[in-house]
Parts: sequence; C-alpha cells; structure tokens
Amino acid sequence: MIKSKTFNRKKIVIVFIAIFLILLALVGRLFYLMIAKSEYYQEKADQLHEREREIKAARGKIIDATGQIVATNKTVCTISVIHNQIKEPEKVISILANELELSEEIVRKRVEKYSSIERVKTNVDKEIGDKIRSYALAGVKVDEDFKRYYPYDTLASKVLGFTGSDNQGIIGLEVKYETYLKGQNGYILTMTDARGVEIEDAAEGRMEPIAGNDLYISLDSNIQKFAEQSAAKVMKAKSAESVSIIVMNPKNGEIMAMVNLPEFNLNDPFTLNTENTGLIDEKTKQTMLNQMWRNRCINDTYEPGSTFKILTAAAGLEEGVVTLEDTFSCPGFKIVEDRRIRCHKIAGHGGETFIQGVMNSCNPVFIEVGLRLGVDNIFKYFNQLGLMTKTGVDLPGEAGTIMHKKENVGLVELATMSFGQSFQITPIQLATTVSSIVNGGTRITPHFGVSVRAYDGELIKNFTYPEKNNVISKETSETMRSILEKVVSEGTGKKAYIPGFRIGGKTATSQTLPRSAKKYISSFIGFAPAEDPQVLALAVIYDPKGIYYGGTIAAPVVQEIFGNILPYLGIEQVYEANEIEEFNIGDITMPNLVGLSKTEASSILKEYDLNVEYLNEGETVTDQFPLANETIRKTSNIILYLE
Amino acid sequence: MSPRNERSRRPKKENYFDYSLLFIIIFLICFGLVMLYSTSSYNGQIKANGDSAFYLKKQLTATILGLIAMMIIARIDYHFWERFTLLAFLLSHVLSAAVLFVGSDFNGSKRWLKIGPLSFQPSEFAKLAVILFLALVISKVSKKIKQFRTMLLVITLCGPIVALVGVNNLSTAIIILGIAVILIFVASPKYLQFILIGVGGIAFMGIFIYLEQYRAERLKIWLNPEDFDKGYQTLQGLYAIGSGGILGKGLGQSMQKLGFVPEAQNDMIFSIICEELGLFGAVCLILLFMLMIWRFMIIANNAPDLYGALIVVGIMGHIALQVILNIAVVTNSIPNTGITLPFISYGGTSALFLLSEMGLALSVSRQVKLEK
Repeated sequence: MIKSKTFNRKKIVIVFIAIFLILLALVGRLFYLMIAKSEYYQEKADQLHEREREIKAARGKIIDATGQIVATNKTVCTISVIHNQIKEPEKVISILANELELSEEIVRKRVEKYSSIERVKTNVDKEIGDKIRSYALAGVKVDEDFKRYYPYDTLASKVLGFTGSDNQGIIGLEVKYETYLKGQNGYILTMTDARGVEIEDAAEGRMEPIAGNDLYISLDSNIQKFAEQSAAKVMKAKSAESVSIIVMNPKNGEIMAMVNLPEFNLNDPFTLNTENTGLIDEKTKQTMLNQMWRNRCINDTYEPGSTFKILTAAAGLEEGVVTLEDTFSCPGFKIVEDRRIRCHKIAGHGGETFIQGVMNSCNPVFIEVGLRLGVDNIFKYFNQLGLMTKTGVDLPGEAGTIMHKKENVGLVELATMSFGQSFQITPIQLATTVSSIVNGGTRITPHFGVSVRAYDGELIKNFTYPEKNNVISKETSETMRSILEKVVSEGTGKKAYIPGFRIGGKTATSQTLPRSAKKYISSFIGFAPAEDPQVLALAVIYDPKGIYYGGTIAAPVVQEIFGNILPYLGIEQVYEANEIEEFNIGDITMPNLVGLSKTEASSILKEYDLNVEYLNEGETVTDQFPLANETIRKTSNIILYLE
Repeated sequence: MSPRNERSRRPKKENYFDYSLLFIIIFLICFGLVMLYSTSSYNGQIKANGDSAFYLKKQLTATILGLIAMMIIARIDYHFWERFTLLAFLLSHVLSAAVLFVGSDFNGSKRWLKIGPLSFQPSEFAKLAVILFLALVISKVSKKIKQFRTMLLVITLCGPIVALVGVNNLSTAIIILGIAVILIFVASPKYLQFILIGVGGIAFMGIFIYLEQYRAERLKIWLNPEDFDKGYQTLQGLYAIGSGGILGKGLGQSMQKLGFVPEAQNDMIFSIICEELGLFGAVCLILLFMLMIWRFMIIANNAPDLYGALIVVGIMGHIALQVILNIAVVTNSIPNTGITLPFISYGGTSALFLLSEMGLALSVSRQVKLEK
C-alpha cells in the first residue's frame, strides 16, 4: 500500500483553499445580485408577472338646460382571447365569428396570434357578450365596458359630437370638454404565470376608476327639437341642400339650439347619412364623413347679404353719419366709381327715409351710408363689434372671418361690404354680432358650456365667458331694435310676424360663389321681444330650389320657431287693439252642441265665427271636440261627430 | 486532524466513521427533495396530468436506491473495487459511445439511454468510473507522476472518455478533465507545471471559443443577456435571484418557477432557492457544501493510503466543480452551460451515482485509523 505523503496533504489543503476562495467569490457575487441589484431585478420580474387590466372610467354625461341627458353611457362588452388558454381554437373561431359577425379570417388572426391577450372586438352589445360568456370557452374573455350612448340619436349631432373607440371625444362638445368628461381609468393588477394564467389569491392591486364629470349645457332639447322640425320642413319643401339654425340668448350668449340639417345618428357616426351610391373607397368615405360631421354654423363661412345691413346701420347711426329721418332716393341702382350696383327692386324704391330704407332693405341707401362712413370707420366698427376675431364659441374648428385687406378696399368694395357682400363670416359670427347690437351694446361670447358637476351633482366649475361692454351705445342699440321691429311688422320681414309678440329681424338673400352657379342662400335673423330681446334666432337655408327670397322662405321658419318657443320660454303675448281686431284674437267658452241637429249646430257656430269640421255622415251631433264649457281660442277648429 | 485525546482507546483498534459527512449528506438530500418539490410541482401539474408530485416521486425512488447503494458501498472495503476498475472504465466508454447512437433526445441533446421504463445517463457513471480509474492508476505510478511524460500519459488515458462524453455534454467533459487535473495535482509534488497547464488551458479555451461561432455568441449573451433571445434563461434566473432579496419570498412563494425559469427543477434550481429563501438561504446552502468539501479534505488527509486519498479527492473535485460551475452559471458569472447542482437538481442517475460516491467516501473514512 502506498501511503499518502506530506506534500499530498499539503496539496489537498491547497485544493480545498482554492475551492473555498472560489465559493467565497460566488457568495460575493450573490451579495451583489441579491442586495445591490435586488430592486432592479425585482422590478423587472414584477413587470413580467403583473398584468394590468384596465377598468374604463365612466365618461361624464352631457345634460341640457332642462335636465335631460343628451349623452350618457351604455354597458357594452369587449371580447378578447388569451392565446395560451385556448383549448379548442376551431370552436372558438367559429363561435366568435358567428356571434360577432366577423369573418373567420379576422377572428383566426386574433386567436392564433401569440400574445398575452388580444382584443377581438370592442363595443359589443351586452346581450351578445352574455351569450358568448355562456359558452364558457376557455381562453375567451368578456369584459364589460362603457360605450357612449346618445338617447336622442340625431339631436344636435354636430354640436354634441361623439366619441371614438377609446371613449375619446372626436368632434363637438365631446372633444372640447374632453378633460372634464373623460375621467380617469382604473386598473386591476393581477399576477400571472408564464402562460398568462392568473394566479389565484396572489396579491392583487386595484385602482378604482374615477368617473368623468357631467357637463351641463345651455342647449335646450325642446327648443332644439322645435328648431329641427321647422328646419326639416323647410328643407324638404324647398329641396334645400342644408339648413342651419342658431337660437341663442342675446344677453349672455347661451346657445339654446343649433341645428345643422342634415343631422346624423350619433350612435352610428361612421355610417353616411346620404344614399349610398355604389362602392366608395376608404378615402372618399372619410372625406364624406368629415363633410357629414361639419357644423356649418361654425365651421363654414358665407356671404351674409342683407342681414349684415344691421351692422352698417348701427355703425352709421353710432357714428352720426345718418339719422332716422334722413331721406334717400333709390332709382333701382347706384353708381359707384365706374360700377352700377343694382338694388333688388329693379324699378327702385323712389324717395324714402332711412327707416324705410332699412324696412325695404334698399341697397342704394346702405351704399350711401357705407360711403359716408368711409373705409376707416367701417373697419373701426368691424373691429369694435368683434367681427374680425373669432367669437370664441366653445366648439372646435371655428372658422374666421374672410375680409378684404383694409388697404385694398376701394369705394366699390366699400359699397358692396355695406350690404353684406364680397366678404364671408360664419353664421355664429353674425348671430353674435347682431346680439351685441340689439342687447344694448355688449359683445358676448356664444357658448354651450354652463357648468361642470361631479356625478353626484357637486359643483366643480361654473364657466364664465368674456364680455366686452359698449361696443355701441345703448341709444343706438335701442334705435336698432325699433327699426328692426318695423322690418318685421311692416317691412321685408313680415312673414316672421306673430301677433302679440314684438319681434325684430332682418332678411337676407345671398349667393354662393361662384355667382354663375345661381345658387342662393336665404336667411333671416330675428329676435324677441323687440324691446328687451331674450331670444335671437338665425335661420340659414342653403341652396333652396324655386323661390329663394329670405323674406319669403327663411322668415316663416323663424316665425314658426318663435311661435313655439316664446310661450315655452314664458314670454306672454300682449295684443295691441288693432291686432285683436285684425287677427280675431280672444277666447270664448265652447257651447254644448251634442244632441243638436247639424243645421242648429252650424248656426250657433256661425255666431261665434268658428271653423268646423264634420266627421261621419248624418244629421245629429253625437260628440264634440273641444268639450262644452272649455275655454278656447276664437281661431280654434271644432270637430263634430255626426250620426 | 485525528483526535489525539482518544489515544487511550488504542487497544480496541476502533475504526472511524465520518458521521458528520453522513449528516451533511442526509441534510442535503432532504433539503434537495423539499426544494425539488417546490420547484417542480408547477411543471408537474402542467406536464404530468396534474400530478404535482410527479418529479418528486421519481427523484425519491432514485434517492432511496442511492441511499441503499451508499450504505452497502460504505460497508465494503474500497480496495474491493480495484479489480473492477478497469472493467468499469471500459464499460463507461461503451455506454457513452452507445448513447451517441441509440440515446434518446431531451431538449436537443442525446444524453439518455432508455432501458425499459428506466432512463440512464452514462455521463454520470463515467465520472465515477474516471475517479476510480485515475485514483488507481495514479496511486500505482505515484513515484513517477512528477515526470511530465507520466502526467501526459495519465491525461491521455482520459482522452477517449472525455471526447465521447464531450460530444453531447461538454460541461461533463470539462468536469472529468478538471477531476483528472486535480488528482494529478494532488499526487504530484510539483507546482510550476500546473501553472503552465492552467495557462495552457485558458489559452486553449480562448481559441476554442473563437473558433466556433456559436460559442462566441454564448460569450456575448453572457455579457449582455438582456439583448439576446437566447439570454432568456439566464435573465430569468437573474430575475429570480434578484427578487429574492435578503430573506427571500418564503418557501413555495417563487413566481419565477411558474414557467418563467424553464425547467426550474433542473440546472436553474439554485435561482429558485435564492428567490424563495433569499441570500440567507443561498449562503447557508453554499456553507453546507463547503462543510461537505471540508469533510472530504479531512478524510482524504487521513486516508490510510494514497489510493483512498485520491478517491476522496476525486469525489471532492467532482462535487466542488459541479457546485462552483452551477452557481457560477446561474449567477451569470460564467457563460451558460448545463451543469446540475449535486443533491438538489432533478436527476435520478445523478442522485444514484452521487450517493454511491458518498458511499465510497464513507468507506474510505472507515479505514481512517484513529491512531496512526
């Protein structure tokens, strides 16, 4: 046997020491990894294990002036697939394709994509989501979610706007007030293993979503409905391209209605509202959608025409270059430099006072006033009245005024500007400027936003808007109100007249460019009551067919709207003596006619001068409407049932 | 280290038995089984039809067989094996060659021989055979071992088996070579030539790495594991280690074993130990291995003859190299290579032969005379 020697032992000790030192170095390495780098690796590992599932915050509601909810949320489902958990891919593909009405290829792509979670479809109706859930397919996830929902579909569509797939505002108030409405998404933090399977009873972090705040707006859904009905009627009757109506409070700028026909369905904003003419490519469709979403009251400009004479008149009176009694002579045209500018009445209005000139909407009168004012003064008042800047309305994409450069304005331009041609403004600009002229001289900011409240009603913010006082004097404002009332009661705006209400207003008929297209824009701006305006309405009819005069087709629209909304706004009818006589105004008590013969009944009704309609054939009255002893208007229709 | 105060018992000729080593072995085995269950239960649930104890059961069977083998071998005089050494050494060649042709694939490497329901890893057997063979050869030529020629001859004897194992399992080949170098180092009184061997070895490795593109790539992955897809395993191991902190997440609480560290019960098990038991647990485990290696040193230094001493040194080298390389790989201290952690990692063949080696070491310890 060979004994081990001393050097052997020494060497074994050396080997041991070497091993010891190396292990010590590795312990040092462990110290570095597990203490110095611990936080770094822990964080990386957490990122790997944690899955953040978002909980969408409910978007704030939009509530109108009457307390009606005009934009809210509806529960919908998001369907996702988790690749690792799917057990029967073919079954999943066929069921999802079927239930979600998607093509199999699209679903297959999602199902076969290797990712931790893949969205298949969002905004799925709750019923369909529940149905998919009931299949209990492994790897298919149904998450409930909110979708924006507009209870009135098309009501004020271009004003309210709609939201996109991430619940973000795309147009209208939805985008303007995004920060208030949006809310803050919450999330659920879960731990998963490498396959993406959630681990039960692993520590779960949860951040509750914060619901968005509610926006209270001045839009009144009833007034909006009235205005939309009137607009729809005239649009159909005149086969117009579109009709825009603004109804606002001229004192504070609150907009009560803004109609832009044709409206679109806010719950389906990506479907064109026009007849689909065959196949269109994506780009064309997008252009058409953008066109469909345009708010013409704000986004588009037009030549205001005669309604703009309100500004010329106000500037002339304020500057003192004209008085109400000044007399003018209209031969049917006026020559400015080398141009012969026609009046709309080819025969001419003859001799007339300034008031009559306004009532007749006589172009030569306003050309004369404009020339008296001069370029500097016209621009001074344009600036003073706020015409050269945007109105600041709380909707996105407001168009600015398209105006001549001051240095390029010669007498001809000055003359055409005086009666509202050769430049363009938006309808909202016109409504705002006229508001400041009739409200006593305060330039207001038109707006919808009134306040923001938390979901429980707690006030977050009241909006205030800039106002500029004394853009014209109170006296001039008062004079303008009385002149414009005369326009309606006796002048070109007669068709806006409603007995018992004092309405002021001005008509306009303008052309679209190029003028050779012979397309007209017919408009009317009115306000009531004339002595203290509480409501102002502007109706603009684009490209009406047939008769296109503003006084003939636009004034009745405003008249109809005022007829509906003035009583609604609590403005009482006060009749003058001549009105009572002329319009047969007054109430009577309905007599009892049941049981009488047809001839007896008709003789009684003749006394009262009531209109009657007979239903059925026969000689005896068996029923009547209204019933006996009801108080009715003298102009009411009576229905009698015969037998 | 022989206890001098026991001189009085001399007449009884009482033999020594290293109970300390036995306890360390038993402790390591139990610890290993607990950790194996912790790391493998998730994989078992997924791959073995929901049986979370699938890997544990297999390992337990091999461990019990190994313990029986250990107790038997410990009772046999280690000189008994001298006559079978050459046969075992040749058999290891045959088996290692066989695995190249009829071996079964696992993760792309042919390392297993399937015999009925049992699978067997010849490279584990090869390590034991080499230890026994070299211990015998070197003890026979110990007088001439300082000659460079003899040394070269001894290393050449290992050449074929290193080559055969190295085809599929480079890391085990390196361990076999390492064991050979340690054995010659211990047997030889010289130092200088080993420094030369060391320098030569490093130079050889350098050339080796640069010659083969995929090894150079491994090197890049080692330096920046976050930039490479193939650095995934290393990176996941580091996440596990780093997230352990000082005291760990607690037994069974590892997140990384849930499929993030692939096959967490195999080579990367140390990273999960770090995650669950923290720096404290990891250092304790390393200390335990140090204690074991220290016991081997004591036994080797007190062995009755050079043959016995070299057997124990071989075993010591084997355990030390695997522990060092495994921990170095898991902590990304060296480029990634597949080496299991003795007594802890999953592997039946490994457990069986490691315990047999322990039996040999205990057998040598029995021959330690309490009095020289």
